[in-house]
Amino acid sequence: MTAMSATNHHPATAHAHHWEVSVAPIAAVFGVFFLVPMAFSAYFVYNSPLLAIIFAGIGVPLLLFGVAKWVSEGMVYKPLMEGLSSSAGLPVFIVSEIFIFLALFATYWTLRLSADVWPPAGTPHMPALLPLIMTVLLVSSSVTIHIGEEKLEHGDVAGFRSWLLLTLLLGGLFLGCTVYEYAHLAEQNFVPSTNAFSTAFFSITGFHASHVLVGLAAFVAVLVPALGGRTNKYLVTGVSIYWHFVDIVWFFVASQIYFW
Amino acid sequence: MSDTMASSGFNLKEWIFTTDHKRIGILYLIGSIAALAVAGLMALLIRAEQFSPGMQLISNGDTYNKWLYFHGAAMILAFLIPGLTGFLANYVLPLMIGAKDVAFPRINAFSVWLFFAAIIIALLGFVVPDAPDIMWTGYPPYSVKTPGNTAFYVFTVHLLGFSSILGAVNFLVTVIYLRAPGVTWFKLNIFVWTTVAAFVIQLVFIPVLAAAVTMLLFDKYLGTHFFDPAQGGDVLLYQNLFWFYSHPAVYVIFLPAVGVLFEVISTMGKNRVFNYKAAVYAIWGIVAITGEVWVHHLYVAGMPDWIRIGQMVTTLLISVPVGLILLSLWGTLYRASITYNTAMLYAAACLFLLLVGGLTGIPLAMTVVTVHLAATAFVHAHFHFVMGLFAAFCVFTGVYYWFPKMTGRFADGKLATLSFWINMIGVNLTFWPLFIIGVDGMPRRYYDYPQFPQFESYHHLATYGAYITAVGMLGMIVNWVYSAFAGRKAPENPWGSASLEWTHCPSPPGPGNFPEDVVVSEDWSPYEYENRPSGARTATAPAE
Repeated sequence: MTAMSATNHHPATAHAHHWEVSVAPIAAVFGVFFLVPMAFSAYFVYNSPLLAIIFAGIGVPLLLFGVAKWVSEGMVYKPLMEGLSSSAGLPVFIVSEIFIFLALFATYWTLRLSADVWPPAGTPHMPALLPLIMTVLLVSSSVTIHIGEEKLEHGDVAGFRSWLLLTLLLGGLFLGCTVYEYAHLAEQNFVPSTNAFSTAFFSITGFHASHVLVGLAAFVAVLVPALGGRTNKYLVTGVSIYWHFVDIVWFFVASQIYFW
Repeated sequence: MSDTMASSGFNLKEWIFTTDHKRIGILYLIGSIAALAVAGLMALLIRAEQFSPGMQLISNGDTYNKWLYFHGAAMILAFLIPGLTGFLANYVLPLMIGAKDVAFPRINAFSVWLFFAAIIIALLGFVVPDAPDIMWTGYPPYSVKTPGNTAFYVFTVHLLGFSSILGAVNFLVTVIYLRAPGVTWFKLNIFVWTTVAAFVIQLVFIPVLAAAVTMLLFDKYLGTHFFDPAQGGDVLLYQNLFWFYSHPAVYVIFLPAVGVLFEVISTMGKNRVFNYKAAVYAIWGIVAITGEVWVHHLYVAGMPDWIRIGQMVTTLLISVPVGLILLSLWGTLYRASITYNTAMLYAAACLFLLLVGGLTGIPLAMTVVTVHLAATAFVHAHFHFVMGLFAAFCVFTGVYYWFPKMTGRFADGKLATLSFWINMIGVNLTFWPLFIIGVDGMPRRYYDYPQFPQFESYHHLATYGAYITAVGMLGMIVNWVYSAFAGRKAPENPWGSASLEWTHCPSPPGPGNFPEDVVVSEDWSPYEYENRPSGARTATAPAE
């Protein structure tokens, strides 16, 4: 165990590069930290709306800054190895998403199949037309983002922008329908705390809607640089895969919640 | 290589904003050791309270419940899982496969700061009114009805879960895409395999826990009825969802812990891994079975016999792959020329602790026995032998083993050996008495036990053991900090290992890890040592 310093074969000068840094991740984390756990706890646990607003006020700008910085760095990011695209992680992430939806559905099935009467008392009539319209909206948005992706592949940035905008619009309309539906149901006193069905209904549709919202945010995040002519096809592919996933999940949500 | 560090100097910005996997690994280490310290303090308080029947430190159970909550949640979620899949996986895995970094360095930084955000929320529990008091399990209806802050528990789980899922995405893609040319699947270090398997478990099972605790949050704060039988909910549903993750979580800890042992034992014994392929298949066997055993946590909660017996079969079945892995570990020791340094001491201790923990698990798997033993100190002791002692000692093994790589210095020395023996004596003294009184009916978790005066002397022993362990832990951490700055300098490959992190990069590695792109030949293996009679070569074989 002697003369160990002599065994270093790699002089420090061999390291050509510097330590990589980015301010985006930590900013985004603490944005989330203030926006969700802190603001929620302030409002619901400690009954302090003022504190909740302050926390959200800290969280939102931090999160927006983090995401914007992240996307702008991502535009020029070079993967460590040929063939590794920024969207390579997405299919893996979606496995995780599938299981969270499975857990929610398993819960729904447990509640429903163990109930004596279904739907339980207090559930109003659910019109079938609205979910049909929502299905059409979401399916067509999956088509439009795909066309947009093709346009980008052929170098048509302007065409890509238009189809992306159309997708955003369709997704926005979908969310609009959700808001309309929730308001309509609330008028009939059907809120999350009404009964076992309302519990499952708002949780599952709400969780899906939150995915739509995240998808729309991701569209905005690639649209803004695209307006300035900057695009990154890996990011677009990633957002698009995610959107198709959200679309497919909707079939399960609609069939289980509305048409069963 | 400490010259590199000295010449570049310490730059706080380069640490806080870092996206480098090694620095992120060190950040995880700092966070998880901090969690170990605070959660360890809680354990001391719990043991001091249980010293004798009656109240020792508290005037009512609420304070005690908060200690239990923090001890359990922090040890598992903030020390063991981040210590193994955060710190060790981050620091070592990319080096082992010859990669310059992980696939998504910024997502990696995102993960580590989510971990710290979770720790902040857990620590806030000490300063806000109504701290969480729901153990680490958070069972309803208590968790919904308590005045305690269940939201903090839920958000801690959310942040850590999100962190782990992103870690899983990152490391799975890293191992799939970033292996250096020549590093093929069946040449991967066992630690790489176990880490990948652990991340697959995280990826699939954490979402279910996240869903379960979210329902808890909604039930408590938004008035939903997931777990409220009066409104058509199902109170056992939570336990099912919770253990659907939390049983596999045992293997999220167990697998990388075993992976560390393989690395240390093979290197210190200068021996190939015995039955390498069988060990790899066994790892995946565990992943396949671990999702089908969770109901054994509900044996006494009421269920049809056919489920109970089915679960007993799957639970016992998991000892087959575990047995294969143990066979590989012991087989690696066979005819090895073992060097006993601190890492190897800890590794040897781990083999013993795992044996005790594993064997005491078998009676618990059997429904007829577990009806008697459920919720006694026997379960408590079994669980702590596997998680608290075996897995924690594996983390320490890893720290000692890779210490020269991380710092360019040895952490071996008198204090290291002394603190090892103090730890080893302390933990055994703490938990052996609990096995005995557990069989005789001592319930676990109680802070007062006036009906069991006959167990008092055993509790004395256990508490003294905890105090002794505290001294050992303190000595160990002091030793690490001291050695990081003033320890004996170490060469690039002080143990003479064949693994890439030792043979191809400096200690500590700089940005980009390897001075030249790694390419290995066809006959390369991280466990390839020349065949030689026992004891022919010592572990520390510097170049000259």
